[in-house]
Amino acid sequence: MSVFAAAALRRNPVWAQLLGLCPLLAVSNTVANAAGLAIASAVVLTGSATVVALVRKLIPKDVRLPCFVLIIATFTTIVGLAMEAYAFALHQRIALFVQIIVTNCMILGQIERVASHERVGRTLLDALGISAGFAVAILVLGATRELLAMGFPLAAMPAGAFLVAGMLLALVRAVEERAARHRSGNLGSSR
Amino acid sequence: MARGRCVKALQGIAVLGALAVLAGGVLAWFSQVTEDAVHRNRQAAEAQVVRELAGADVEMAGVAGEDDVLFCKPGLVVLRGDGRGYGGAFRLAVAVRGDGAVAGVRVIEHRETPGFGDILKAGAAWLNSFRNGKVHAVTGATVTSTAVIATVERLAARGRQEACLR
Repeated sequence: MSVFAAAALRRNPVWAQLLGLCPLLAVSNTVANAAGLAIASAVVLTGSATVVALVRKLIPKDVRLPCFVLIIATFTTIVGLAMEAYAFALHQRIALFVQIIVTNCMILGQIERVASHERVGRTLLDALGISAGFAVAILVLGATRELLAMGFPLAAMPAGAFLVAGMLLALVRAVEERAARHRSGNLGSSR
Repeated sequence: MARGRCVKALQGIAVLGALAVLAGGVLAWFSQVTEDAVHRNRQAAEAQVVRELAGADVEMAGVAGEDDVLFCKPGLVVLRGDGRGYGGAFRLAVAVRGDGAVAGVRVIEHRETPGFGDILKAGAAWLNSFRNGKVHAVTGATVTSTAVIATVERLAARGRQEACLR
């Protein structure tokens, strides 16, 4: 599996690592909001991971975490300002959640695990894969909730976010388990 | 041994300091780039609020000062002012009628906790309750609601003194 696909699917931040769930649940009430947050997270994640990969040899081990957070915070502020300047309607709806991208453990985890060891090219691919995985998860959740909300208003409310996300997670796990059993079955017959 | 640790600490301080200066520079530059567009967007949002409250398409009055008069005609004045809630500063617009009653309240921007801030959305029942003068603090959002009530009262008192209202 390529670096990108492995990051997006096997190490999907949402359904494999259960990271980034706070913004996922809060902003997935409509597809438009979900897309906005997915793009903002992708820019912050990819940008900060690339910068960390570029300067990783200059950063002493003891101060790496404050350095990483500083870089992430800079990118988050830039994205927030850009949104306020060029996508004001979206900014008014999701600005709060864009600001807390700083504390998203999906991003800090990715930087600590990948960007601080790997080369720029691999880091970039991996970050894009994680971003794509997060985007797919939040868009599916957003679309499901927006559609369900037409019949069940609960789906658009915070409690509905937990219910729908839990059911989608169970579905993904079931599909994965089936695929795994299928694979081991094939292995058995080929022997 | 102690000296090595000292050098290491200085190294860390130097790298973190340099990074902070660099980040500050980048942000200062970018906030300058976006300044005009952000300012235009905020003005457009305020103009929209005035349209909703006064039902008129108006030029912004743009008076300097803490509480600005956005719109004024005999019988209706719209003022803008800031307050401090749970999550930081917020900005309101309040419309006051000639008889001194509050005709409407809109929140232009706020940073209240998601969910708790829902009482501040345009059309929310709580914001509309300002129109019939019976407003209660909201359980679970005490700081937000009492701060909004205080700011609306301050702006309304200021609006009632506006000469152009009569």
